[in-house]
Amino acid sequence: MENLGALALILAFCLSIYAIAGSIIGKWKNKPFLVLSAERAVYSIWFLVATAVGILIHALVTGDFRLSYVAQNTNHAMPWYYKVAAWWGGQAGSLMLWAFVLSTYSAVVVYQNRRKFREMMPYVVTVLMVVQAFFLMLIAFVISPFNVLMQGKGIVDVGDGRGLNPLLQYWTMIIHPPILYMGYVGFVVPFAFAMASLITKQPGDDWIFTTRRWAIVTWFFQTTGVLLGAGWAYAVLGWGGYWGWDAVENASLLPWLTSTSFLHSVLMQEKKGMMKVWNMVLVSATFFLCIFGTTLTRTGLVSSVHAFAQSPIGVYFFTFLAVGIAATVYLILDRLDYLKSESHMESVISRESSFLFNNLILLASCFSILWGTLFPVISEAVTGEKISVDGPFFNRVNIPIGLFLLFLTGVGPLIAWRRSSIESLKKAFFWPVAVSLALVAGLMISGMRHPYALMSFGLCLFVTATVFGEFFKGAKAIRAKNGMNFIAATVELTHRNTRRYGGYLVHMGVVAMFIGFTGAAFNLDSTVEAAKGDSFKLGRYELKVRDISDSENADYVSRKAAIDIFVGEKQIDTLYPERRFYKASQQGTSEVAIRRQLNEDLYLNFAGANDPKKAVVQAYVFPLVSWIWIGFWILFAGTIVCLTPSKIRMQYARTEVVGIARNYAEIQK
Amino acid sequence: MRKFRNSLLLLVLAAVCLPQTATQLVTPEIRRVGDKLACKCGVCNNTVATCQMLECHYSLPARQKIATLQQQGRSDDTILASFVKESGISALSSPPAEGFNILGYLMPIIGIVAGLGAILLFLKKSKQYRIPATVPPLDNEMLARYKERIDKDMAKLE
Repeated sequence: MENLGALALILAFCLSIYAIAGSIIGKWKNKPFLVLSAERAVYSIWFLVATAVGILIHALVTGDFRLSYVAQNTNHAMPWYYKVAAWWGGQAGSLMLWAFVLSTYSAVVVYQNRRKFREMMPYVVTVLMVVQAFFLMLIAFVISPFNVLMQGKGIVDVGDGRGLNPLLQYWTMIIHPPILYMGYVGFVVPFAFAMASLITKQPGDDWIFTTRRWAIVTWFFQTTGVLLGAGWAYAVLGWGGYWGWDAVENASLLPWLTSTSFLHSVLMQEKKGMMKVWNMVLVSATFFLCIFGTTLTRTGLVSSVHAFAQSPIGVYFFTFLAVGIAATVYLILDRLDYLKSESHMESVISRESSFLFNNLILLASCFSILWGTLFPVISEAVTGEKISVDGPFFNRVNIPIGLFLLFLTGVGPLIAWRRSSIESLKKAFFWPVAVSLALVAGLMISGMRHPYALMSFGLCLFVTATVFGEFFKGAKAIRAKNGMNFIAATVELTHRNTRRYGGYLVHMGVVAMFIGFTGAAFNLDSTVEAAKGDSFKLGRYELKVRDISDSENADYVSRKAAIDIFVGEKQIDTLYPERRFYKASQQGTSEVAIRRQLNEDLYLNFAGANDPKKAVVQAYVFPLVSWIWIGFWILFAGTIVCLTPSKIRMQYARTEVVGIARNYAEIQK
Repeated sequence: MRKFRNSLLLLVLAAVCLPQTATQLVTPEIRRVGDKLACKCGVCNNTVATCQMLECHYSLPARQKIATLQQQGRSDDTILASFVKESGISALSSPPAEGFNILGYLMPIIGIVAGLGAILLFLKKSKQYRIPATVPPLDNEMLARYKERIDKDMAKLE
């Protein structure tokens, strides 16, 4: 079977080369059958990669321990769903996941556009297949997941494997990598359309309109993937954090920041025909940062908890990045004449201007994270001395940036397109500013002194007030006209322009997340060594160790503590933090116990035991952390609303300069 | 018998591994110094104070060392210097702002300033296209085009 899998990958690689050649030659020589044949090759590639994936999963689930990949990532004791998840648990399998997701996306793109964009499609297919060929080359020839274990000239079946890293045996780890990859890989599609648009010198913005949904969906997958990783870190690693500024975490955030920037700046192009070059740069940057993230994980360039073992594929990635970036830069520079703005900024106090600042802040954050991640490597190359750039550096730079971004999130909806008068600004800003200042004053009176926390809470209320104001004003107008009740009017309003109001909901999700992040300023923790019957205090809680017990099953041995939680005299809960030792992988893990509440989480980690009758318990109180996960669900709802077609087809009444202004602009030129 | 022996062996192994974790007590004094030291376990990106990785081979002895030196009455700077002497400058959670490393702190600021400069340039360039406050009257053809557009947009809204 493994030969069939390897053959499928080699054939898929050959077909991807054929698809590239067929598309280019077919277009160049005007041979439609070649172009069509290349598009059909894309479907065949999906079938071949899916076949290889099916064979690998079969080997993982049935325990074919002749395969090196199977022996390294599974064992008999693992449940079947973790055996399936082992597909992306190792280097070769995760690259195969990349190839599979890309082949699926490519097939969908080809099918969706089988009768559209006939001018652009050959080049879209070419770009997609170049990326596809690169990943297929890696898994077909460099690090195949179908390599067998050999001893001398014979194939060896080792009987059982090492198993998946126990830390990865958690439900979010089953869906975190595929979802993150769906986000990463998805941005190949807008990039492919953007490049095709440049190659064919398209005069319009077809690529923007075509890929709008792709961009939103893939952005959502990126967001979900990043947050699932954060959720996993919080619930599994036992240190209670959800973000550690690890190099690979940072790498996953970089394309998210540029894609968020793109989603905002693309509105300027849709609405006003501006920022065309900038949008090309952003979509390209997002794509290359996705590849860069994959590179970081696999080259050992920076040390990371996520990194796979070092392998020879780093050089391939760097070559691909270098050639790809050079080609993209050349193409953009060569086509600058086709990317001229159709209109110009009319005022500094305008929605356009706020988008510019939004882009600046998002990219500043992206740059500072990239810089902080790579600075140890740069510094070592220059000075020869190793340095560490850890959480404190990233927090110092990114907390003020994040707060300013939150401020802009509130400002944007209050400023009109084209220009706003000072009077209208005063009117729009009065209530949001007044309520947020009142909140800050109230918090200060109640004793809060943390400056960033005060600013963050104030800004959260400011954004909330502006968003609610937008819904309120719109719904009020509809209610006045149609006589609907307020809720129906709000639904009607949202349905009329789903992208705008869905976008506001997404902003509210971000606000909820900021509330959760801000709670970290008030974390409490305590580490104690306690025997059965001992108790200790943390914040308003009293924790009493009721029992410490040992158990064993086929997979692991464990020690568990039963800890009763009291507030005052009343027992409110019992938590069971546990320590496990996995037999196959010889690794210890902690199964933390969390009491989740809206105001705070009580988080208990069984850290170890110096004495069999005692437990070392790390106890934490994390205020407001649940709002991060609530924020995700609001963001999810907002994205769904954005993707829902509007009741009224919003053909953007691009503020095209049809009259006097055009004459004036022409005179000025 | 073999199964029993294997189980026993594993239990012994686990019993040895489970207690490996030293007491992870972090006093406010240890936290104050530990926050300035990087955890060099190679897998996390935390400081010695914030690393909560199980059985961390770096942060646990480092905390112990901080506590010992504090008990000996050493100042924070002396303790930090002893870590730097032992492991080099990478022992610190952020490089000192001196020499080439100052660039590490300056670049994000330079990036923001450069971005602001680019925006200001863009805005300045856009200024020349500003529509004057008083404009010549529209000709009929233009007016008709405007009206047609407004009617179209209004029809869509209805």
